[in-house]
Amino acid sequence: MAKKTYDLLFKLLLIGDSGVGKTCVLFRFSDDAFNTTFISTIGIDFKIKTVELQGKKIKLQIWDTAGQERFHTITTSYYRGAMGIMLVYDITNSKSFENITKWLRNIDEHASEEVERMLLGNKCDMDEKRVVPTARGEQIATEHGIRFFETSAKANINIEKAFLTLAEDILNKTPGKEPAADPMDISGGNTGAGWKNKCC
Amino acid sequence: MDGLRDSSPALAFEKDALQLTVEDVYDISYVIGRDLLKISKAGAQVSDLQFRIVRVLEMFEVLVNKYNLSLEELKMERDNLKRELDRVVGEKSAEQGSTLGPNQLVVDLKDPNRPRFTMQELKEVLQERNQLKAQLLIAQEELQLYKSGLLSSQPSEPAMVDVELEPATTNSSAISPKITTITEEDESKEEAKNDSREEKTTIQKLFSFRRK
Repeated sequence: MAKKTYDLLFKLLLIGDSGVGKTCVLFRFSDDAFNTTFISTIGIDFKIKTVELQGKKIKLQIWDTAGQERFHTITTSYYRGAMGIMLVYDITNSKSFENITKWLRNIDEHASEEVERMLLGNKCDMDEKRVVPTARGEQIATEHGIRFFETSAKANINIEKAFLTLAEDILNKTPGKEPAADPMDISGGNTGAGWKNKCC
Repeated sequence: MDGLRDSSPALAFEKDALQLTVEDVYDISYVIGRDLLKISKAGAQVSDLQFRIVRVLEMFEVLVNKYNLSLEELKMERDNLKRELDRVVGEKSAEQGSTLGPNQLVVDLKDPNRPRFTMQELKEVLQERNQLKAQLLIAQEELQLYKSGLLSSQPSEPAMVDVELEPATTNSSAISPKITTITEEDESKEEAKNDSREEKTTIQKLFSFRRK
């Protein structure tokens, strides 16, 4: 019925331990704002942001997951529909970095094979409390052949760059780059058609 | 009455063997000793028998003593076990309901913030919330489209035109004058937010055709 306001729809997913700043990273990107009060995400939420890349209007539907273990059955059902996944850790929290391997394993188990991954070391404004050296982030990213940024939602460092880079990587993998078929499919754990349709 | 003092120790002979106490054995010894004394006056040859009887009575004493002690020990042991059993059973029933495995959690039914919903229920609620959110976003976007489409009055909005040309309840030609009327009312009544007069018209248009 209504004319589409975008050429492509990309579904992105944010994962990582509780408290690393996934919601803040997303809030900075979508609303260019930051809030210091910590409100734990309940299950799963999403935001929409339309960007323009290579002359195409790309609508990003970005799913924000709860990091807490108790929500995992809900959050993992959203992996399959994702075309891009951002793995977020907190540079001041070594446990959140160690768990990146666990999150990578989750992706292997639940996400589409073609999913574009990216590693983010958030809270890089808090250098005095840093416990994860930049080199360690770089190393694990290289090992898995994925991109890496250190970000700060608070100080607005690398946030937009990270999202745009991930979107561009997906765009470059998209053959034909024809408009997305279905506007905003909301269901979790669905067919993961986003990628498959475009690849074949 | 006279014989009572005498016959009293002799009563020990009438008792059940398993009921005998050491005192009974002493009574028996006393009675036998007294009787032997009577016999010994008759002949000295009973003295050997006397020693044997004493020996048997001593053995009898030891056996009765031992038996009673064992019985006492067993009774004590039994009572101890009974108490222990009562204690364990009591503890068990007190713990009943609150006995937990390593993966279980106690829920305080008086806590207003106690967990009450299943993960499946939460999943469904979240799915519905996100569905509605997506629909709202689409609706907002479409609204924006309609607004801008009518504002620039470009004929390149087929969706808009289609909807507008759809037969209304009365007749389609009535729509245009209607809008004009509303616009006029709008101008006269409201202290025009000068920037959005045209935009208001758009919204009025939207509502006017939706009324059908």
